[in-house]
Amino acid sequence: MTAAAFLPWLVVAMLLVAAVQIGRRVMLWRAGKPATIDWIVGLKALPKRYLVDVHHVVDRDKSASRMHVPTAGGLVLACGLLGFGLVPAIAASRLYWALVALAFLIMAAGVVLEARRRYPRALPRLSLGRWQRLPVYLGVFAAGGFLTALLAALGNPLPALSFLLFFPAAAAGLALAATTASGPMRHALAGATHLVAHPRPRRFDHEAPKGEATGLRPLDLEADKLGAEMPTDFAWNRLLAFDACVQCGRCEAACPAFAAGQPLSPKHLIADLAAASGGGHARTYAGNPYPNERQIGGTAGLHTPIVSPDGLVHPDTLWSCTTCRACVEECPMMIEHVDAIVDLRRFQTMELGAIPMKAEEPLAHYRGCDEPSGRPLFERTDFAAGLSLPRIVEKGEAEVLLWLGQAAYDLRGQRTLKALIQTLNAAGVDFAVLGGQERDCGDLARRLGDEATFQRLAKANVETLSRYRFARILTADPHALHVIRNEYPAFGGTYDVVHHTAFLAELVASGRVTPASLAGRTITYHDPCYLGRYNGEVEAPRALLDALGLERREMARSGKRSMCCGGGGGAPSADIPGDTRIPDIRMGQIKDTGAKTVAVACPQCTAMLEGVTGERPEVKDVAELLWEAIEAGRRKPAGAAPARELQPA
Amino acid sequence: MKTIVLLSEANDPISGRPHLSRLEAQAIGLAANLDKTPQGLHVGPSEEGASAALGHGLSGLDVVETSVGEDPLPAIAGFLKNALNGNEPPALFLCGRRGEGGLETGIVPYLLAEALDLPILADAVAIRPGEVQGTLVVDQAMAKGARRRVTVRLPVIATVHALAPPPQPFAYGRMRRGELRRHRADMIPAAATSAESTTPVVGSHEERPHRARPKLMRTSGTSAGSHNLHVGPEPDEAARLILAYLEENGIRRYGND
Ligand code: SF4
Ligand code: SF4
Repeated sequence: MTAAAFLPWLVVAMLLVAAVQIGRRVMLWRAGKPATIDWIVGLKALPKRYLVDVHHVVDRDKSASRMHVPTAGGLVLACGLLGFGLVPAIAASRLYWALVALAFLIMAAGVVLEARRRYPRALPRLSLGRWQRLPVYLGVFAAGGFLTALLAALGNPLPALSFLLFFPAAAAGLALAATTASGPMRHALAGATHLVAHPRPRRFDHEAPKGEATGLRPLDLEADKLGAEMPTDFAWNRLLAFDACVQCGRCEAACPAFAAGQPLSPKHLIADLAAASGGGHARTYAGNPYPNERQIGGTAGLHTPIVSPDGLVHPDTLWSCTTCRACVEECPMMIEHVDAIVDLRRFQTMELGAIPMKAEEPLAHYRGCDEPSGRPLFERTDFAAGLSLPRIVEKGEAEVLLWLGQAAYDLRGQRTLKALIQTLNAAGVDFAVLGGQERDCGDLARRLGDEATFQRLAKANVETLSRYRFARILTADPHALHVIRNEYPAFGGTYDVVHHTAFLAELVASGRVTPASLAGRTITYHDPCYLGRYNGEVEAPRALLDALGLERREMARSGKRSMCCGGGGGAPSADIPGDTRIPDIRMGQIKDTGAKTVAVACPQCTAMLEGVTGERPEVKDVAELLWEAIEAGRRKPAGAAPARELQPA
Repeated sequence: MKTIVLLSEANDPISGRPHLSRLEAQAIGLAANLDKTPQGLHVGPSEEGASAALGHGLSGLDVVETSVGEDPLPAIAGFLKNALNGNEPPALFLCGRRGEGGLETGIVPYLLAEALDLPILADAVAIRPGEVQGTLVVDQAMAKGARRRVTVRLPVIATVHALAPPPQPFAYGRMRRGELRRHRADMIPAAATSAESTTPVVGSHEERPHRARPKLMRTSGTSAGSHNLHVGPEPDEAARLILAYLEENGIRRYGND
């Protein structure tokens, strides 16, 4: 009898322990609300979801993919091979043991790489505690397994030594298996199940428009309870998702609120949500604390309110989020943080009325006059006095319906809209606006958790839009774009919505406007979260800027991994104080490029970045830059292509 | 302390849609400090705006339906008189300090005080129970941020000032859960109210173009000096005194037009 002969039984024992441990979690998941899941499709898609989608994210941090592939691969391979070791004939083969030893060796190599990320000092975003000890257990298991199998492959020359090696490996293996309930190894089983039963399977379909996987789902306003109060109010696969977290901290490193010192860390929040169902953290949370952490009572349980000064999560944490989705974009476990945050907000807002006083103001205006700024709808077009701005009521139909949005009430936003309207007129676009019939799209209400107001506005807007004929909706506001394009279909309105950057790029590409070159200016482009990350549109604005001959410099964080300006999700309304302001941080990144101008494509971003004080690059909307170039083209005497005269207003 | 908040038919100042008056929402906030289950009363053709009061913290709302343009006072007075004679009589009635809807005058609280023979206190910003059983301590807002603390014997009617604490945020779920009790107007025994108050509104007003009004702050005196305090004057005499005061302070300078 050799020690290696016990290795297969060790694996069986580990599986049993893991099964019991994960079974305890399964019981908790079952307390969640039901969810419709296509298991067959999910199971079939699992390898692709893991090898393509997960790996794609993990691989952004090379040191992570380099350590995870051999560690997990070696572990699964070794355990899988050891399963065959239960057959005596196979267990007698020395070649077999050589293979097992090789698998353990691969794993050990991965563990070394993992240890290098943590020792002597762990990356700041990683958790310590049990996570810091994980490579120790894995290492002992891999090394012990390797040596035991190696000795067996060599014909078991030193039986005593092999037993001496087997015992620590067995202890470490069982300890690892034991952590599948509340410790690090939970991520393996929960993560795989989460990939199968993911609440947003559309996000794995790379052919589908990105917005389909990012729009919020409508809430049943007739439900007994609105939003999520306690763990049991989440769908079971959401509880499962929280358990999948590996505490890698990528979300935290990307979170603008965390960077600004507001009391939010998406990683800590997901860890809290996972801990909530089991009655609190099994071990003290060993990651970075919430910045400027608030005092909490810390009570937790399946039927205990999560967000409360007495619970696990302080309300300020919830209201710090800008819903920028950077965390979701960075999460290798495909966790949907924003969905959870909005669900929790819905309960706070609609059931408790526990919304920050400042954020209640726009919601009150919404209820009063359908416009968060509290301005009358008929004033929406006042800024355009003197411009040719046709109304669709007069025309009945138009090629393009221009959705003005909230920018129409804001002096800065009006400058952008004027540039856009002038460009449309110059290009001879057949367009019209709803004028006083345009209500706010409801984005702010929805992100602040006021689903009732959002649904009322969505239905009213869909009804208004149904009265007119138009081919496309054009808007300069990515929030309106996202909501109308991706969230109105649930209320019966499906539209072709185009952002002004894409539309203007089309106009330039087709030669309908002829801008002069603005060469000689350096520029950087700030991607709006709701355009880039939410809708995957990062190319059109860049193509347009390039067409203007501008020297474009990219920030370290750009495209789908851009950083938020701080203006989304009602965060400016809730106004949870931090150490600094998000737009200041972003402006610092803009300055680092050395560009003299930052091009923006969203009225919120414009307002937030223009609010940065001191010496800073100029903030210009893409539409303003294009109009400037068109005007410059007109001033050129001969040779320049003639632009159409403005129609008299 | 059982508290009833009276809800008017306010219109949103921007959109003109029926909504809950902010003053009344603030009144609910004050009521919630005294009564765990504050109730509301609305008399009018529709509760479209007033029902939002449930979302701001009222736990129940009685709605007496009357026809459009009908004077709500008899029904309010009748309903409250019933309540006062019931086995759990309300002790405090809160109202907004002014009308915020189309033809509303804001005078209902005063007419109601007269009809029910209750004292009325204007412009409350804070309310708490008095030390002596059956009394109430009310902080009244005065000009220029001054406050006056008054102790009154219950039951009492109080109007609420805009400087009272902001209302509790609206919660849709709370509105859904709140109890709405509808009553037919003819089931409420109308209380006898004085003749003037039941006179229907006569639409004899004329419209004048907007003109700049003199600034009140600059010229008018703010302290109510003793020579300005008249207790129980005859109505004609009171009117004359008020006009004289306004002219003296340059607030009204158009003679007897
Ligand atoms: S959505 Fe943005 S602000 Fe909110 S938690 Fe995620 S990264 Fe942070
Ligand atoms: S939520 Fe995702 S990104 Fe954040 S720590 Fe967990 S696994 Fe990492």
